[in-house]
Amino acid sequence: MDSSGFNIIVAGVGGQGVILATEILGNAAIRQGLGVIISEIHGMAQRGGSVVSHVRIGGDAYSPTITEGTADAILGLEPVEALRAVKFANSDTRIVMNSKPTIPVTVSTGAYKYPTLEEIMGQCRKFTEHIIALDAFKIAEEAGSPLVLNIVLVGALAATGLLPMREEDLVRAIKRHVPEKLLSANLRAFEAGKNAALP
Amino acid sequence: MYALRDPHLLLEGKPGDKYLLLGNEAVARGALEAGVHIVTMYPGTPASEIGDAIAQIANVAGVYMEYSTNEKVALEVAAGASLVGERALTAMKMVGLNVASDTLVTLAYAGVRGGLVIASADDPDCFSSQNEQDNRYHALLANIPCLEPSNPQEAREMVLSAFEISEELQLPVMLRLVTRVSHTRGVVTFGQVRERQAGSFVRDPKRLVMVPQNARGGHVTLLEKMSNASRIVEKSPHNQIFEAGSLGLITSGVSYNYCVEALRLIGVTAKILKLGTVNPLPVELISKFLRTVNQVAVVEELEPFLELQVNAIAHRAASDVRILGKLDGFFPRHGEFSTGIVAEGLSKIVGKPLPQSYEEALKKAVQADKLAIPRPPMLCPGCPHTASFHAIRVATGGKAIVATDIGCYALGYQPPLCVGDVMISMGASVGLAAGLSKAMTDPVIGVVGDSTFFHASIPGLVNAAYNEHKFVYVVLDNMTTAMTGHQPHPGTGITAMGKVAKRIGIEEIARACGIKFVKVVDPFEFKNAVSAIQEAVRQEGPAVVVFRRPCAELSHGNKVMAKKILT
Repeated sequence: MDSSGFNIIVAGVGGQGVILATEILGNAAIRQGLGVIISEIHGMAQRGGSVVSHVRIGGDAYSPTITEGTADAILGLEPVEALRAVKFANSDTRIVMNSKPTIPVTVSTGAYKYPTLEEIMGQCRKFTEHIIALDAFKIAEEAGSPLVLNIVLVGALAATGLLPMREEDLVRAIKRHVPEKLLSANLRAFEAGKNAALP
Repeated sequence: MYALRDPHLLLEGKPGDKYLLLGNEAVARGALEAGVHIVTMYPGTPASEIGDAIAQIANVAGVYMEYSTNEKVALEVAAGASLVGERALTAMKMVGLNVASDTLVTLAYAGVRGGLVIASADDPDCFSSQNEQDNRYHALLANIPCLEPSNPQEAREMVLSAFEISEELQLPVMLRLVTRVSHTRGVVTFGQVRERQAGSFVRDPKRLVMVPQNARGGHVTLLEKMSNASRIVEKSPHNQIFEAGSLGLITSGVSYNYCVEALRLIGVTAKILKLGTVNPLPVELISKFLRTVNQVAVVEELEPFLELQVNAIAHRAASDVRILGKLDGFFPRHGEFSTGIVAEGLSKIVGKPLPQSYEEALKKAVQADKLAIPRPPMLCPGCPHTASFHAIRVATGGKAIVATDIGCYALGYQPPLCVGDVMISMGASVGLAAGLSKAMTDPVIGVVGDSTFFHASIPGLVNAAYNEHKFVYVVLDNMTTAMTGHQPHPGTGITAMGKVAKRIGIEEIARACGIKFVKVVDPFEFKNAVSAIQEAVRQEGPAVVVFRRPCAELSHGNKVMAKKILT
């Protein structure tokens, strides 16, 4: 870890649980005494718009936001949102993304065409070869609820072995921060995400 | 280090404990440590969580908390308590201070007794706002001290300083926050909670009754207080000098963070003057700083607030140091800053290139951005507003000109609904609709949310009734303040502290304002909704239609409450 720490971008659509995923990552890190700076977006963007959170762990970070080209990992909860955040990547960055699109209103009204997954991956590969794309929606459904999609991807990110926090702290943070009735689905989602991302 | 899994930890946390807190939660903790007795706010992003955090623990903390009907009222309630000697905090988003400014400017003449802190949160880049005004100018206009933290830890510390300064000078003090401080989570070390000190009201009409003969003296007193403030800020621990070099940077608040990382990014060292007191400025400190460097870059988001004053200070100090910033186009005057934006400006100033990796990322991102189709926020699935807007369209054949207002429902202007032709500020829909109706023959409709109705619509409605403006005022009553996080309002029947209260009915207010045609309809009963609008359009004078149905995203508890109200 250099002076800027371990930098994670969490990108998705308002309502997908970007903030919850961010909090879990941050709280897992402080359990182990690492410094954390998180920047979140609340308010209007949360109504189904693009949402990006920045998580900076350890190091000597000052800025609440991550600089373009310096993210260590990008967690893309939706393909186009991963693409929108790809400017934060460099050739070492790990991109972990959900491959199932959430169609924006600009597409359903016919004003825009949703890009193909190949087009999206092609742009992302210009930045980095380290891309894990998985149907997190399907995995989440199998784990018990489409709502746990965010935790599937947190699990997949954990499987890369790059995160500076311990896996048990991630699991503890999940237990602390998810709603009671979705706890078991979330824990299954974490495991399933991990397994899906393992080579 | 702990996570704030329960807001009560804001109260229970011990001195020395470290918690991961949102900037707004750190403000709440700072206020509790300062022994605050009254907290008021009108919810607004990015300030909302200050009040939300306090609301959840107010009963246990022995603090009175209310979501006031608007920011002016919120400031007045806080000021009233302060005049009795209690410590009070009011929080609002930046445009809220426009609403409160009438009181603020004259309150500064009268002054306060117990510490009064105004937490005002700016929203550079309009993440959830209708403008990106720079509220440091409100502090300058009102002649009140203003502190600006750069992170959650400083937010907590500066709330404590703000209360001290407020009591020392007997002036309200502003804490200027921005989205990237309010909504940044960082590690905050707790301090000791101060015992609350009770006060009493002392009659002093010469000081507090601002008729002209007293206001003239009040202005003189204010200027004296601010000249004392100038002495205080010279010694303030919140103004710091870091690093060294022949290049000087003058910065404040969140921009300081970008400066530190931008210098690292381009591999340059500089001497940084980080200002925590942005009004008044520490003139002596700045003059001295200017003498120690060859050139100075002023790095600040939004307006050249520091830059203009630093130029004036340099002129008076007969300093010929070059001062560079927005006025020369090195930094933008709009949008929020980032490490990259600050590095771009600094690289031009020092003539050192940006790192290749950064330039490459931006270059490659151009194509990626083209492919990343826009995803604007939209109304949630099951949102009652969607039905209301569709009813308006069907009833008027899409012909009505619609003045809409601030809230989730502003999103109805977008395709496919396309309901909303003008939107300016809280409550402006009613006056705009009245004016539109005077100048055109097509039907005119004003649209307002329930919380916004209470906030600023009522004088406009009285005006419409009395002057017989012919338009339909549609109140979208989803029984909560949805956009900002489901805070209660006077139509919900519950207070910020969870006390059941007597609901104030929107339809009753409309009738009391003199509106003759008032109808309440569930927008999901679509035929009725359409015919209510059609009937309202046929009226000779102003008509009010209340579309009432709870927000689809309400929590279970609030839904139960809403159901009770509806039956």
